[in-house]
Amino acid sequence: MIKLLIRHKRLLITALLLLAVFLTYALNLRNKEHANPLERGVMSVIAPIAGGGAAVSGMFGDVWNNYIDLLEVRRENVVLRKSVQRLNERIVAGNEAVMANARMKALLDLKVTLNAPSLAVSVIGEDSSAWFKTLVVDRGSSDGLMEGMPVLAAGGVVGRLVKVAPNSSRVLLLTDHASAIAALVQRSRARGVVRGAGAGRCSMEFTVKDDDVKVGDAVVTSGIGGVFPKGLPIGEVTMVKKGEYGVFQTIEVRPTVNIANLEEMLVLFRQPNE
Amino acid sequence: MITYLKVTGWLLAAILLQMTLLPRYLLDPFQPNLILIMVVYLGLKLPHRFAGLAAFSLGVLQDSFSGIYLGLHAFSYLCIYTLLSQLADRLYTDNRTLFVLVVFLMTMVGALLNLAMLLIFSASNGLYASLLPALIPQALVNALIASIVFNIPLPAGEEAR
Repeated sequence: MIKLLIRHKRLLITALLLLAVFLTYALNLRNKEHANPLERGVMSVIAPIAGGGAAVSGMFGDVWNNYIDLLEVRRENVVLRKSVQRLNERIVAGNEAVMANARMKALLDLKVTLNAPSLAVSVIGEDSSAWFKTLVVDRGSSDGLMEGMPVLAAGGVVGRLVKVAPNSSRVLLLTDHASAIAALVQRSRARGVVRGAGAGRCSMEFTVKDDDVKVGDAVVTSGIGGVFPKGLPIGEVTMVKKGEYGVFQTIEVRPTVNIANLEEMLVLFRQPNE
Repeated sequence: MITYLKVTGWLLAAILLQMTLLPRYLLDPFQPNLILIMVVYLGLKLPHRFAGLAAFSLGVLQDSFSGIYLGLHAFSYLCIYTLLSQLADRLYTDNRTLFVLVVFLMTMVGALLNLAMLLIFSASNGLYASLLPALIPQALVNALIASIVFNIPLPAGEEAR
């Protein structure tokens, strides 16, 4: 018997193991919803290890996903940057068009109110010297321009043409020292000559002391001399000084037109001696 | 020949900058006068028989783009060039400080010459009121730019002669 057992030891052990497993399974069938002590022990031991494993796995997963996302974000970023740049360019162009439209509209209104043929010109250059105040515009004698023609902007007088080339001209601004425009104070009709004083300022000369001039008075062209039509706004009186001696008063005039920001202007086709 | 081409190239670059970019982006008294600096350079370091003509031409070019008096800058630049070319042999022209100082002084001399010409021959009353306050800032800016220009390897007098 012992010999038989020894001979079939492996088979017997396997059968006993199978029987034990079967019995375990059979005995636990009724108690399938509750964990037995063995299960509880195994679960208690495995749970932290499984948790750690899950965390590590999650971490590697996150790193991988983030890396993939980063590559995608980088590509997307390049596309979005280009898109933002394109949209910004469109916004700037749109704003520029709106502002140009407003300027052109103001210029057109001026053109309608003036009873004389005129030509719109654009500024293409400024004076390179600190002491002279001239602008270069994009039209010249081939467009019918001539020296002495008055130049206006939406706000009023800008100056007059001085040097005309076939495709460009120079405008002597009313703030240049060489500029002189016959003018009168709109309210009191006091006469004088508006001269350039540099640095965006003008002065009104040869206005006698007895004439009534106050700060804030509008100064307009008088039409004398025939260069500028009568009644165009030149500027506003900012300072009046009547000295003790002398015949004339000192008047400072601020031009109505913002000379520093001129872009488009109108040249009147009016001969100086017309 | 290459030296003349180099000098011409620098002069053209100075003129273009002076006429286009500088007036657009820099405020009035702080615009450097590159043409004047080039005239001082010609007078001090390149006193050649054609350099006087170049100084005069630079002045005429500047007058064509600036102000309404053709010949004003041409006269003052030619005066400056003549004065400097006479002094160049007696000065140590390789000294940067001297170059900067001469540019500073010549800015003043040029402006005063222009002012005298305008006051004598034109009806620009009160021009000095614009010119004098801008004189020192412009001279300082020119001196600053001159110190930078001095570092540029421009052709020296000996090789041009």
